[in-house]
Amino acid sequence: MSAVPAATELAPTDSRRPGWRAWALLAPMVLWLLAFVVVPTAILLVYSFCERDEVGGVIFTFTWENYHRVFDPVYLRIFVRSVYYAGLTTVICVVLGYPVAYYIARASVERRNQLLLLVMVPFWTSFLIRTYAWITILKQDGLLNGLLLSMNFITEPLGLLYTPTAVVIGLVYAYLPFMILPIYGSAEKLDNSLIEAAHDLGAGPVRAFSSVIVPLTMPGIAAGTLLVFVPAIGMFAITDLMGGAKVPMIGNVIQNQFLQARDWPFGAALGVIFMLMFALTYVILQSRGARHAT
Amino acid sequence: MKAIKTLILTLVASFAATALHAAGELNLFGWSEYVPQDVLEGFTKETGIKVNFETYASNEELLSKLVAGGGNYDLIQPSEYAAELMIRRKMLAPLDKAKLPNLKNLDPELKGQVHDPEDNFTVPYMSGTVGIVVNTEVVKTPIKGYKDVFQAKFKDRLVVLNDNRELVTWALYSLGLPINEINPAALAKARPVVAEWVKLVKVFDSDSPKTALLNGDVDLGIVWSGEAAILWNENKKFQYVLPAEGAHRFIDILAIPANAPHKAEAHAFINYILRPEVSKIVSENFPYTNPNLGARQLLTAEQLANPASYPPAGAKLQTFRDIGKAAADIDKLVTDLKSAQ
Repeated sequence: MSAVPAATELAPTDSRRPGWRAWALLAPMVLWLLAFVVVPTAILLVYSFCERDEVGGVIFTFTWENYHRVFDPVYLRIFVRSVYYAGLTTVICVVLGYPVAYYIARASVERRNQLLLLVMVPFWTSFLIRTYAWITILKQDGLLNGLLLSMNFITEPLGLLYTPTAVVIGLVYAYLPFMILPIYGSAEKLDNSLIEAAHDLGAGPVRAFSSVIVPLTMPGIAAGTLLVFVPAIGMFAITDLMGGAKVPMIGNVIQNQFLQARDWPFGAALGVIFMLMFALTYVILQSRGARHAT
Repeated sequence: MKAIKTLILTLVASFAATALHAAGELNLFGWSEYVPQDVLEGFTKETGIKVNFETYASNEELLSKLVAGGGNYDLIQPSEYAAELMIRRKMLAPLDKAKLPNLKNLDPELKGQVHDPEDNFTVPYMSGTVGIVVNTEVVKTPIKGYKDVFQAKFKDRLVVLNDNRELVTWALYSLGLPINEINPAALAKARPVVAEWVKLVKVFDSDSPKTALLNGDVDLGIVWSGEAAILWNENKKFQYVLPAEGAHRFIDILAIPANAPHKAEAHAFINYILRPEVSKIVSENFPYTNPNLGARQLLTAEQLANPASYPPAGAKLQTFRDIGKAAADIDKLVTDLKSAQ
């Protein structure tokens, strides 16, 4: 900065502080965040300390009771299971999504756009309809069992639908594009000369992949992980439809509090704890990432 | 899931309807898959009253919305126990019976039920039971009650309603306990029974339990009688059995919320539904037990012979009563047992 000629020394305030124009541009977003993030979160927080009345309304008092209940082993076990399923889904998505994303990113521009379109096409159909399609595939006299039976791979139809396997299949299917797209974003920017340099320095394909390609695409993997893990942990439609609503996930439990059990305060308390956990994980990951960078 | 589908259909339908210059409006809040589109269109065509139709998937959802103060609904469709609670909380408007001459078509047996002893607030829409469906091509042993369904040999061959209170009710029936006295002692007795049962179930589904049976994923189910009736229409191998220990009978009703803005239109709609030829359309689409004796005369012999729609007399049937906060205890019990697997 000291080398800057004196002629460019403008009033320092202008360049640093956002003017009213910047605020005007930001206003829609700020209002949006206020109305749909800050206010609902505040309502959730207030409700979580209230009590349920006879019809399922909310009585405004102050109680810790809902938070006591959240830490009941029943709900903790469900929590752990949800984390496990979401984690498994994320890992499978990385393993399946990484090669796809990498391949797309390395393809020619024209081919790349075609392939990206293929990744997005499923979004043109409603998520629920696609989930029902999976039911048709996995059910006992469904397409998959029919194929395997006719090819004599199996003699008895497999009981796939309404099992944890079906839930994971459904979750991976639903969230795979959210892993592919961010990794593609990172891989596309990957500088080929760095990989060539790695080879020149004697790294084999495995070494070049693990020491050069993976670290450089890490931001994509991290973004994908967040995009897959967070929605997967709260998902309730797939566990209901493909898992037969047999083993509740935390998303089902919360949904149940707001509908069947009509215990909004308890549902709110579960939601608050859920959000705190995410915020905490995120902060930890961020600070670790920051330390890594320095 | 169904609710979402129906909601989309409803939105499309209501956009189409705004094109008409209607004489009035009616905000109907009903069950998903329970009011045929033909009935709504017929009513609008005849009266010029536009129907805005919104749906819910459970009584609890209906109560949640009403308690939260959402929506200006003119007509709702709660089941008897939810109606009982609403009457007690003064959430329903009294009916003007002078505007409902077609009440005469109703089965007197459904009048004066415990939820509304004077019939001042509610009109039965459809009634039904919760019973057992057996795929008799696969299951050869006789199935008479809950204990026959929940046997170890049927593990992973069962579909039951995804409804915590129903599940606990069946357990109470099988123990010979009263189904409407939900207290810690009763729940403690029901707990081990439910714990064994949830391990055997393959699918919990309230929206469309018939799907798992039709797909061949399960062989037995405890489902709404209307679902069983549709299965029987598809294939006679699906037999409906009312559990010997006793069964839950539900009465879905029409009622007007106390703060409804269009009460006159709501009365017009109730009276329209009570016409035999209109009520018959409901039966054709949703084969529950039609409380409208005039409509029953218009049904075919086959429709009346459907054992799920019109079960033989003499079964032990009971309606639900409102249980207040005990609903939360039931929810915790079942969530606990389901997740313990």
